[in-house]
Amino acid sequence: MNKNSLWKDAFYRLAQDKLALISILIVFLYFFVALFSGLGWIASNWSQEVGASNLAPSFDHLLGTDIFGRSVLQKVIRGTQVAMSVGAAAALIAIPIGVILGALAGYFGGWIDDFVTWLYTTFSSVPNIMLLISITLILGKGIFSVYVALGATSWVNLCRLIRGEVLKHKEREYVQAAGAIGGGHMRKLFRHILPNVSHIVIINTSMQFQTAIKSEVILSYLGLGVQGEPSWGTMIDDAKLELVRGVWWQLAGATLAMFFILLAFNILGDALRDALDPKLKGK
Amino acid sequence: MTKYIIRRLLYMIPVLLGVSLIIFVLFNLVSGDPTAVLLGKNATARQMADLREQLGLNKSLWLQYLDVVKSAFTFDFGHSWATKQEISKMILQGAYPSLCLSVPAFVISTVLSLFISLFVAYYRGKGIDLFIRVLCIAGMSISALAYILFFQWFFAFKLGWFEISGFDPEFPHFISYVALPAIIWIVLSIGPDVRFFRTVILDEIYQDYVRTARSKGLSEFTILLRHVLRNALIPIITYVVIQIPSLILGALLLENFFSIPGLGGMTLNALNASDFPVMKAMAILSSVGYILFGLLSDILYTIADPRIKFN
Amino acid sequence: MKAFGLIFFVTLFLISSCSKDRNFDEREIHLISPEKISGFDPIHASDTYSGNEIGKVYEGLYEFHPLKRPYELMPNLAESLPTVSADGLVYTIQIKPGILFHDSSAFKDGKGRELKIDDVIYSIKRLADPKLQAKGWWLLDDKIVGLNEWKEKNANLPATNYNEDIEGLKKIDNYTISFKLKKPYPQFLYALAMPYSFIVSKEAVEHFGKEFLNHPVGTGPFILPVFQQSNRIVYTKNPTFREKFYPSEGEEGDDKRGLLADAGKRIPLVDKIIVDVIIESQPKWLSFQKARADLLEIPKDNFDSAVLGGKELAPELKSKGMRLFSNAQLDVTFFSFNHDDPILKNKKLRQAMSMAWDRNEANKLFYNSSAVEAQSVIPPGLGGYRKEFRNPFVKYDLEMAKKLLAEAGYPNGKGLPAIVIQTRNETVSRQMIEHFAKNLEKIGITIKVGMNTWPELVNKVTKRQHQMYTMAWGADYPDAENFLGLLYCPNASPGSNGANYCHPEFDTLFKSATVLQDGPERSAFYEKMNEMVATEMPWIFGFNRTKFYLSHAWLKNYKFMEFNHSQFQYLNVDLEVKKELSKKF
Repeated sequence: MNKNSLWKDAFYRLAQDKLALISILIVFLYFFVALFSGLGWIASNWSQEVGASNLAPSFDHLLGTDIFGRSVLQKVIRGTQVAMSVGAAAALIAIPIGVILGALAGYFGGWIDDFVTWLYTTFSSVPNIMLLISITLILGKGIFSVYVALGATSWVNLCRLIRGEVLKHKEREYVQAAGAIGGGHMRKLFRHILPNVSHIVIINTSMQFQTAIKSEVILSYLGLGVQGEPSWGTMIDDAKLELVRGVWWQLAGATLAMFFILLAFNILGDALRDALDPKLKGK
Repeated sequence: MTKYIIRRLLYMIPVLLGVSLIIFVLFNLVSGDPTAVLLGKNATARQMADLREQLGLNKSLWLQYLDVVKSAFTFDFGHSWATKQEISKMILQGAYPSLCLSVPAFVISTVLSLFISLFVAYYRGKGIDLFIRVLCIAGMSISALAYILFFQWFFAFKLGWFEISGFDPEFPHFISYVALPAIIWIVLSIGPDVRFFRTVILDEIYQDYVRTARSKGLSEFTILLRHVLRNALIPIITYVVIQIPSLILGALLLENFFSIPGLGGMTLNALNASDFPVMKAMAILSSVGYILFGLLSDILYTIADPRIKFN
Repeated sequence: MKAFGLIFFVTLFLISSCSKDRNFDEREIHLISPEKISGFDPIHASDTYSGNEIGKVYEGLYEFHPLKRPYELMPNLAESLPTVSADGLVYTIQIKPGILFHDSSAFKDGKGRELKIDDVIYSIKRLADPKLQAKGWWLLDDKIVGLNEWKEKNANLPATNYNEDIEGLKKIDNYTISFKLKKPYPQFLYALAMPYSFIVSKEAVEHFGKEFLNHPVGTGPFILPVFQQSNRIVYTKNPTFREKFYPSEGEEGDDKRGLLADAGKRIPLVDKIIVDVIIESQPKWLSFQKARADLLEIPKDNFDSAVLGGKELAPELKSKGMRLFSNAQLDVTFFSFNHDDPILKNKKLRQAMSMAWDRNEANKLFYNSSAVEAQSVIPPGLGGYRKEFRNPFVKYDLEMAKKLLAEAGYPNGKGLPAIVIQTRNETVSRQMIEHFAKNLEKIGITIKVGMNTWPELVNKVTKRQHQMYTMAWGADYPDAENFLGLLYCPNASPGSNGANYCHPEFDTLFKSATVLQDGPERSAFYEKMNEMVATEMPWIFGFNRTKFYLSHAWLKNYKFMEFNHSQFQYLNVDLEVKKELSKKF
């Protein structure tokens, strides 16, 4: 199996999938919105009052205003930044841990494997919600602890997948051949095996990304989410008080914003799996 | 096989040790000193010190950890700090409403998902396949909280089809209480289920034996039900069985919004009250469940597919 | 797909036919508890909601009159108000003869026996039992002669010895007790009216052991044989309840409001009380709208849909016969400073912060303009509150705030680090601080929110790890001492003075005021303390809130009560009206 052809092949297949292309476009769009908002180019004055309290959507305020008269649209944009950063940071924390532990366990076996297997079995048997809550409680509130908490709970699955895949690849001829020409363990593992299992990381990340965004909502509902910044979670949490008095636009704004990015990630995840896992070709 | 099962059961020991370590470390850091909360807003310093002594919080960390380990292996969880109730009783009382909601919801959503995925697999690549797939994905892309708020308002209040909230332990009556949260559960889990089942079924459809069957002139429908489903059942069973332990915890949000006195709400209360013994009990129980059902799913795997041997 | 749809609707039909039909012939009342009930042990009844449930099955020596305002105590288990010795130290109380405990397997033959004075002594001792760590101990801590010593002595024994006599709890005969206090304690009778000191029987405590909290055996108007950790509690009328009658006098105007229609009738007036625990506000509101509950404390969020212009009931609710009750609460909300913090010791800074906050707007946003801006510690309705008193620093004046801030040494906020306010993880608390922060930004002060679970918040405050925190204090009993104590130096953390505020002159006044019996002299002391501390801004004073209740037309005899644990026995239901109106739901 040649890694270049795998990626080229995958790219070719992706390019033919219109839905996947649109999804990529949406993901990029969200990333840019998040980036611009992070740089302070857009929605930087979300905390300013733009009108009266709880105004319904109109041409002046496309998504209406919240209880303080702030623009819901700007809050949605600002929330995009939080959501994307939560997803990205969780992935950044989970990927190194999951990949390194999984690869070491799969490749070396023995007590390392025993230890890593024990570690992820232990972690995955404690209910996720408890881990999430207690980590955010320990680190204090704020976006940083949300990052860490989500990262710390999402490495487990990746680790298990990588371990399984490395286990398979280590006996393949190309690895044996690399060993025969004198490659060391690290070289074999990082130069030869890892690139061949990297598609797992990509697929897994696109899945984890949406789990992270969804978890942020639950954490916000529990009052453990992002503080002092609007996030989709806090907006939906606000909405639980507003809906009965007919203020639906915060819920609608946040839900719609969330809907499109999750939809895009889901479709993309499927497409990536189809494209990168040739065994599943044709679905 | 017996040997394998025994070994797997023995493996529970290190895992339970690990679980107790994690929850001990996490919750000791979290809850800090629970006595102020347990004694209420007018507590005196003296009383707090006395209570700390009584709860064993002045013991060395080692001894406290040992207590956690002990309860992990004896299942003796003692009494709740906050409610003073016996924890095993709380769990027994809470399990029934939780299961009344989660078991029917789980069974229905699994069976329904299986039918839908067979349906879309039959029409794979056609418009209806794409439509249902997109519908599933769209359904997954809405927050659970949004579903709850809207469904409760619309179906229970506006249309009056269901009770708004509450629970009745008697048999036919509880249906009207759990039906709506169960429907939300089904809507939430049907998306991921169908996606997974469809993948597994399609995985089989492209195998050689299907081609052989097709060349024998069997109808696509027969192939799907007789051959494909039988083989696809193996990963499906694994996937389903692995989820069972999470049913015990029920659904935190659903229980809270529909006032179902189950274990999910109990856990949430415990977290909000620094009720360490209850959190400990729930964490230990669910990890034991996780391990046992993991084992069960492996055993079912071999029964379904004798090619796999344990070693 | 059609088949699917058909199955779906058939199932729905079956489901909706599964629900129980509502019954309009039973004399029952449906109530909502917004919090989970943990158990039925009076000594641990620290929150209102547990107290409400305990008050249906247990009783105390005294209770608050259900109609009279200002709140007035009346004898309940006691025969009459006590005779108090001239020095205010000895209270002699007689109990009514012939009061029976509920029938229970704890008693011989399962028949409830008569209540005797030993039960009173036993129940008070339980509050002090070192093995139980009662939440209500603070009420009697260092108050009764010999009680603290008894507690101390038993702390190291394997089992608490209830047989030892205590000097301060003297049995005169089977129906008479004399309490001897260490020092004058004018709030003592209030303590005897609180759920903490409701009377239990020794047999039940010993028979049920650790399960006692699930088997309430009281003397009260309703019985609950077993409490299960469910979200529905069903009480039935106590068949052996003594002759107790609905009061025949009340506040002026109660007659017109129909509150005296049942005067002189034997209570309880209904056969059943059903309490549903509903935590989230959406299901609470919807349940009431569907007539699944007879009385509802309006969740703030549903206020707009219920009450027009902050005063009147919305027409569509009125047409269904619903009634609105609005009542000032005996409470105060505040952002407390931690006076240990050197930055916050700066009085001018505290005053500046107070003046930069637009309370009017906050009132509108969070309380629909129904709350009163608190001028100081004591809420309206208690002795010591003076209506005319205005705190000069409880006023929105940005110019003045800026000036004060400059005088404090931070012109335009320069050099002032961000201040963190700790709060509970609730939506409204968070929004409230967001509002405060937004206001203070205008004069250059940065405020940050720290969200906490309740235990975390309590921990931070008791360990003095906070800069500021939000709090709402509700009266335990109708006496301003309960509020002023929040700023009394010896109560500093881990006590109730979470501000760690110390003011020697205030403390001296507090000490001399709190031993006085209720009266003009004491009120004068309270007034002085209240107004002295106001300008000091030990907290950013928030609001005295108003509570809103909605009731359906068929619920009779409801009147707002701050200390409402014994109120439910007086409620009644009009079945005619209910049958008539139920067509509209």
